[in-house]
Amino acid sequence: MKAFIIALIVAVAIGTLAATVLNEQQRFAYQAFATSGARVSDPAGHSNLVGPKWNGVTPEPEKPSKS
Amino acid sequence: MRRGPTLFRTLVAAAALTVSVGALSPALAQQTKDGLNPTGQNPTAESVNEEFLFKQDPKITGRISIPDHKAANLIQPAGRDYRAFRESWLPWIGALAVLGIIALLGAFYLWRGRIRLEPNADSGKTILRFGGFERFTHWMTSSCFIILSLSGLNYIFGKRLLMPLIGADAFGVISQYAKYSHIYLAWPFMIGVALMLVLWIKDNIPNRIDWQWIKAGGGFLGKGHPHAERFNAGQKMVFWMVVGFGSAMSITGLMMIFPFALTDITGMQVMQVVHSLIGVAFIAGILAHIYIGTLGMEGAYDAMGSGQVDLGWAKDHHDLWVAKEQAKTRNDSRISPHQVPAE
Repeated sequence: MKAFIIALIVAVAIGTLAATVLNEQQRFAYQAFATSGARVSDPAGHSNLVGPKWNGVTPEPEKPSKS
Repeated sequence: MRRGPTLFRTLVAAAALTVSVGALSPALAQQTKDGLNPTGQNPTAESVNEEFLFKQDPKITGRISIPDHKAANLIQPAGRDYRAFRESWLPWIGALAVLGIIALLGAFYLWRGRIRLEPNADSGKTILRFGGFERFTHWMTSSCFIILSLSGLNYIFGKRLLMPLIGADAFGVISQYAKYSHIYLAWPFMIGVALMLVLWIKDNIPNRIDWQWIKAGGGFLGKGHPHAERFNAGQKMVFWMVVGFGSAMSITGLMMIFPFALTDITGMQVMQVVHSLIGVAFIAGILAHIYIGTLGMEGAYDAMGSGQVDLGWAKDHHDLWVAKEQAKTRNDSRISPHQVPAE
């Protein structure tokens, strides 16, 4: 039981350390890729591009009827 | 006086130019009728088209001014194949792997039942099977694996199975935290797999005894127990599965944690496909491992629970290992009576 508890504590500790290091290393796209000549929008708080009802499946376009 | 002739020549030249342009206009209008090029070529047919570009490269890219070169990607038809796999094939493959192994284990349990301890002269005594650091490594890796599995399955099945039950808002929150756990607990998992490799590789090299164990059905099919060292052939398979699949999951996972660091969009899609397929196979394999370590065999869990197993059980299932450990202990006791027995 002691080995199990220590294992959980160490796993959470390593995970937290990883989170801290990774979050310090990365920047948002709008920070990383904006230049003086190009502005990349901050996506926070804005609607996403695929819309709220997107389910991952793109319906096949209807074929024109032969007439 | 000289201005008169000059003005006259100018007027004559202007008139001639006007007449010539007027005469040519109908001819030019005739040539450009219906959008025809004066040269006789069709600009639409001659222009660069999608088909032509795809013969040169599987993607069509443009030119952009921001430093994110990925944004130059305009069309990548392979992405449609990837999406079809992700949304259509993968859920079925995943369900088949996970539910299939659960059904197989259930059928095996109904047929074989729980493999019971067989009391013998050594029952009641114990022997240390796994030391504290080995159990720590096992539990750190396995607890992370369980979280990674559940959060990984949520990527595939969450929106199909969980979201209709708990609603979109709750599903969104859970998925966000599941995603955090998947990214961050991957690190102790990778460390755990590396530690397992170092700790147990020497006991997991396949040899002739394993072949005999396999031919005897591992003791599951017939009566009696085939010889085995510290790990039998089945456990060695689990070890190499964990090391192999764990390494593959680590490499493909790192590619996704650091997107586009080493691969382009096609590479990212390949990594995700490999990661998901190995992931569901890994889950199926570990479910079998969990079954045999808990419900399937009495006495097996103690090895990772307290570390101490019943000596009678150990002699039945790992007779060669017990003999080696006891011989080592006897030799050690001749050297120094205060030394603790080896594991």
